[in-house]
Amino acid sequence: MAAVDSRGEVLDVQALPLPYFLLRARVAAMEPAEPGQFVMVASANRPEPYLRRAFSVYDQEPASDGSLVISLLGKVIGRGTEALAACVPGERIPVLGPLGTGFHSVADDASKFGRAALVAGGIGSAGLGLLAQALERAGRSFDFFYGGRSAEDLVEAETFRRLSERTGGWLVTTTEDGSAGERGLITTPLEAGLRAGAGYTTVFTCGPHGLMAAVARIAADAGVAGEAATETPMGCGYGACLGCAVTLKNGGYALCCRQGPVFRLDEVAW
Amino acid sequence: MSAGASSLASPDLSTRVGPLRLQNPILTASGTFGYGLEFAERADLHRLGGLVTKGLSLEPLAGNPPVRIAETRGGMLNSIGLQNIGVDRFLSDVLPGLKDLPPKVIVNLFGYAQDEYVRLAERVDPYEGVAAVELNVSCPNVSKGGIEFGHDPDVLSGLVRRVRSATGKPIVVKLSPNVTSPQALGRAAQEGGADILSAVNTFVGMAIDTATRRPVLSTIRGGLSGPAIKPLALRIVFDVAREVDLPVIGIGGIETVDDVLEFLLAGASAVQVGTALFRDPRTAERLVDGLRERLRVDGIPSVDSLIGAAARPE
Repeated sequence: MAAVDSRGEVLDVQALPLPYFLLRARVAAMEPAEPGQFVMVASANRPEPYLRRAFSVYDQEPASDGSLVISLLGKVIGRGTEALAACVPGERIPVLGPLGTGFHSVADDASKFGRAALVAGGIGSAGLGLLAQALERAGRSFDFFYGGRSAEDLVEAETFRRLSERTGGWLVTTTEDGSAGERGLITTPLEAGLRAGAGYTTVFTCGPHGLMAAVARIAADAGVAGEAATETPMGCGYGACLGCAVTLKNGGYALCCRQGPVFRLDEVAW
Repeated sequence: MSAGASSLASPDLSTRVGPLRLQNPILTASGTFGYGLEFAERADLHRLGGLVTKGLSLEPLAGNPPVRIAETRGGMLNSIGLQNIGVDRFLSDVLPGLKDLPPKVIVNLFGYAQDEYVRLAERVDPYEGVAAVELNVSCPNVSKGGIEFGHDPDVLSGLVRRVRSATGKPIVVKLSPNVTSPQALGRAAQEGGADILSAVNTFVGMAIDTATRRPVLSTIRGGLSGPAIKPLALRIVFDVAREVDLPVIGIGGIETVDDVLEFLLAGASAVQVGTALFRDPRTAERLVDGLRERLRVDGIPSVDSLIGAAARPE
């Protein structure tokens, strides 16, 4: 499947509120992304920052004219995300994608699995949007663990509550300041769930490095397999610059943009 | 302009770079286009003047630990660590798919001892699909306390001389900008028997994460590339082209047709496009189209007439 560099047209940018935003763009010729895949985008009208930014495809909808409407869930943290959040409707942006290797376990026979736990830290929820939809479509039950520093970080809580509840699962939230859900880290209810026999056979995670490392340890202790959608600084997104190395347990490196961004929890040297 | 635009439906983009004849002066730079084939789906390889492979060593290399890149104003730092598949796999798996395409294939070679460069040159020498070798001489010379081959004129001319005896292919020496006088190193390469100089490699730089108070790159220092280095690279190409009697391939932050023209006017016979490919994988072919159109509109019959024009007396 070839990733195509296509022109996107910004439909709207919604402040969720800022620093979080949801950018919707119509892309003329792009194949739908698999859960976990990403696109490289930039604001074409600004010379800076120089490189494009990687965004998970958070949501997508094929249109009748053959185009694809993609939604990118972002957080303004630097010049690249600032420029994208400032895009105006009608603005043309280059979109290269879909790129990378997504969640493998989804492609497998869903009937082999029990329930899944999805664990998102803040904006990491962007990497789990298509996965949650795919699991729901496949009739696979999951609980969605959503952690943040405070309530504002749980921007898409209602979306994931709806999706998980439709599968007979739950949304579980925590915040470090206690402004939403239980006070504390999201790994605490995850561990409790695993201990209490919630029946998870797979754990999927996306979020800060520390969270994913903790999830990997917890899953290993519980004897549960899982995958993480990782993030590294990226130059090109398509395997040319070799800048996005992820260190593996076997001592080697893998490219986040090609072999990843999704890796098995037990293959990454967290 | 004496020639009207209408009479120049198709300006001549072909260029001669020493023994190399290219269909146009736009090449892709080493380390920015993989080995070429990976990009067949994203770029039209047929339209390039040439492509320079990712640097190849005798054995495959895994590269440096993360973090390997850092974006900076107008460019980026990289410290990839020369990750590559090794020369043998390139020759057996990749070259067959490239050799019949119109762009000339230049293989970029590097080693940590003279011997390694020699053996690499011997290895690629029999392959017809290899149009030339480009020596990355910005590697630490292990037997000389880690001083880069490209930083000492005597070492460099000795290295090129040995490679010269190992291959009949045209030799391109890629100059380091991190020296007082790149032109002196260019002359040393010429004395050793180089056919072509490419200028320049990346500028050593660094970035610091103000939150962690640590260098961003795992290796602390990295190579700066992108538009930020263009004026610096242009100056070096200008000086090298004037002072060394070898054809020069210009490299450094090239992204627009004007950038290409500047390097040609400074004395380059061709250019390599690098970091701009990360921003847009079609940059090189866009430049081929854009250059043709500019020459047509400006009534310039050939690329040839531009080369070195800025260095000639008015």
